[in-house]
Amino acid sequence: MLEALNSTAAFYARSQSQMVGLRADAERAQSQIASGERLQRGSDDPIASSRLRALERADRLADVDASNTIRAREELRGSDTRLDDITNALLRARELTIQASNGATSETGREAIANEIASLRDTIFASANATSLTGRALFGGEAEAPAYTQDGAGNVTYVGGTGSGSLEIGQGVSVERGVNGPQVLNFAHEGAATDAFAFLAQLEADLRPGGAADPAQSARDALAGFDEAVDTVTRSQTVIGVRLAWIDTVEQAEITRNEERSIEGGAIGGVDIAEAITQMQQVLTVLEASQASFTRLSTLSLFDQI
Amino acid sequence: MASSLLNIGRSGAIAARTALEVTSQNIANSANEDYARRNAVFGEVSATSNMAYYSNNSMSGVRIDEVRRTDAVFLQNQARRSGGDLARADAELSGLQLAENAIEQAGVYPAIVEFEAGLAALSADPLNGSLRAAALENARSLTDTLQIADSALDNGTGQTLAATQSGVETANFASAELARLNAAIVRTQDGTSAQATLLDQRDAQLADLSGQVGITIDYQERGVVAVRLGDGTGPFLVDGTNSASLAANQNPDGTASFTLDGAAVTPTSGALAGQSQALIALRDSKSELDGLAALIITTVNDAQASGTAPDGSAGQPLFSGTNAATIALSATSGDAFATAPAGSPAASRDASNLEALRTALANGGPAEEADRILYDIANAVSGRGIARDALAAIAETADIVLSRETAVDLDVEAANLVRFQQAFQASGRVIEVARNVFDTILGIR
Repeated sequence: MLEALNSTAAFYARSQSQMVGLRADAERAQSQIASGERLQRGSDDPIASSRLRALERADRLADVDASNTIRAREELRGSDTRLDDITNALLRARELTIQASNGATSETGREAIANEIASLRDTIFASANATSLTGRALFGGEAEAPAYTQDGAGNVTYVGGTGSGSLEIGQGVSVERGVNGPQVLNFAHEGAATDAFAFLAQLEADLRPGGAADPAQSARDALAGFDEAVDTVTRSQTVIGVRLAWIDTVEQAEITRNEERSIEGGAIGGVDIAEAITQMQQVLTVLEASQASFTRLSTLSLFDQI
Repeated sequence: MASSLLNIGRSGAIAARTALEVTSQNIANSANEDYARRNAVFGEVSATSNMAYYSNNSMSGVRIDEVRRTDAVFLQNQARRSGGDLARADAELSGLQLAENAIEQAGVYPAIVEFEAGLAALSADPLNGSLRAAALENARSLTDTLQIADSALDNGTGQTLAATQSGVETANFASAELARLNAAIVRTQDGTSAQATLLDQRDAQLADLSGQVGITIDYQERGVVAVRLGDGTGPFLVDGTNSASLAANQNPDGTASFTLDGAAVTPTSGALAGQSQALIALRDSKSELDGLAALIITTVNDAQASGTAPDGSAGQPLFSGTNAATIALSATSGDAFATAPAGSPAASRDASNLEALRTALANGGPAEEADRILYDIANAVSGRGIARDALAAIAETADIVLSRETAVDLDVEAANLVRFQQAFQASGRVIEVARNVFDTILGIR
């Protein structure tokens, strides 16, 4: 007698718990589809959530690295342009020096050349003090102040910092953000260390009337110095070119890593829409079937027959 | 003889009508969760003519011997035990979920990452005022999120403590009711529907009580129960007509402890045990969060101390406070970031001290610590969730099995209606036959 008993309350409780379970499954699938996230909270899958957090952190820091990359490239390109200007000025000064080295050039001609060299020196001074878009002195190393200052007598002094600082452009990868003034403009002439400003100032003074005893000879002597000066600037340009290429390489690697991160993130925490929808459809079908059979069963009452 | 026939018919009709009443009572209570199915038990009545001589023709009909209440003590105990385990798991899980929500939804981890990102951006241009201001705001949101998480944990503790208090009241009420019911049950007659109603109430109170604390029930004569806390050696919650009073006390660290009539007790099952575990989990999460806040404060302030601010002065602490509740920004402007190493001149672009801070933050720093804390909580929630689902399935099965045994099956009752109606009609026929017999006898002329 007891074995056959199946109380009405038990029937309803069983049906209810089955349908509630199915409904919860369907809702979970629905919220996964709607959010595109497999995990609604950390406890859904602790390990995957932890991995996702690490990926999100890497993503966020890579964003900063990407904007740093843009900044580094802008600064290096700016330096490159300025170095072009400096090279052109030096080459122009060299041409003028060749003219001055000609014994036939008149004193007034040499004075005009001296004036032009003075203005070329100003051009180089301006280029050497150039700043980036954010106001940083391109050749000033790590100091905030401009790279070079000029006193009343026209003497130019380097006031920037040593080194040029580096910028992180990728995970653990950084790039020197430029070259400093001395690296570009200091060179050795006739065994003595000098820089472009002092060298040009000396040349200018020699060419002016009452300067050197033999201005043509001074000009001839200076030619070798120009070769050194241009060589130094060109070397710096090569360095900058290599760094720009390095930035491109790192950027490419970062893009690849970024893709890998999003693929991994998708694999860990993303929802395969097709799978989720199929799953939900399956649950819904079962739910509908159990609802239908529940309705049928619950109408089966002996009371209708008596 | 014929009058005996009439009596038998009458007793049959009365018994059938009583059985019909019991059936109707069952049908009416089919949706009542506390109701256990009643059966009308019939007893034959046979009369004897005198003390020493038993006539074999002494049939006197039938009577309702008792209204029997379906009892399934074993199944009931099982349902209560599994229900108590489920209540414990539920309470513990909801406490852990509170902790998880507090730390995860406050966004502690993203705030740390954002602070790191702000510092990374600053390292590109250490003297840039807007980058400095942005990094300072990131630091401010970090302190805010830590405080939000901390107060969310406090709220969770408060909620759980309130639930504990109301659970204690429920348990005390149930104990007092059981003591009162014990007194009432001994005064009722066995096998009556009055007793059955009291037993229904008793079982409902036992279910309430076992939902709050784990209990062991000792069934005594006539349905009186003695209830012990925990296993069979625990202190009495209900003994006869006496009930003990349970009390919850809040410890200074936010956890709860319980006393029964002044003596310390530890519930092992039921919602109160779960809440007690939840409070411990919340306290642990809070101290983990405090540890994280302290780590952030020391890491950043130590780095600041070994650096130089843009104005050339030595770096000052960025954060004040010692834990998640007290952490605050002590710096007032972005100029406070000591990005340059110690001994640098004013306005130095040398960001090596900032790099040192970033390295300290990245390797085994707050981000990893926060991730570990989140992972630990999530893992605990996930594990407890699985255990809870298993307990829920067990409790549900036990409930269904119990209600299959003791609750009302409408189909059976419908069949009983027909059966007893037929019995009633048949008894009516017996009375009719008796009358016919009388008429036949009286009609003899």
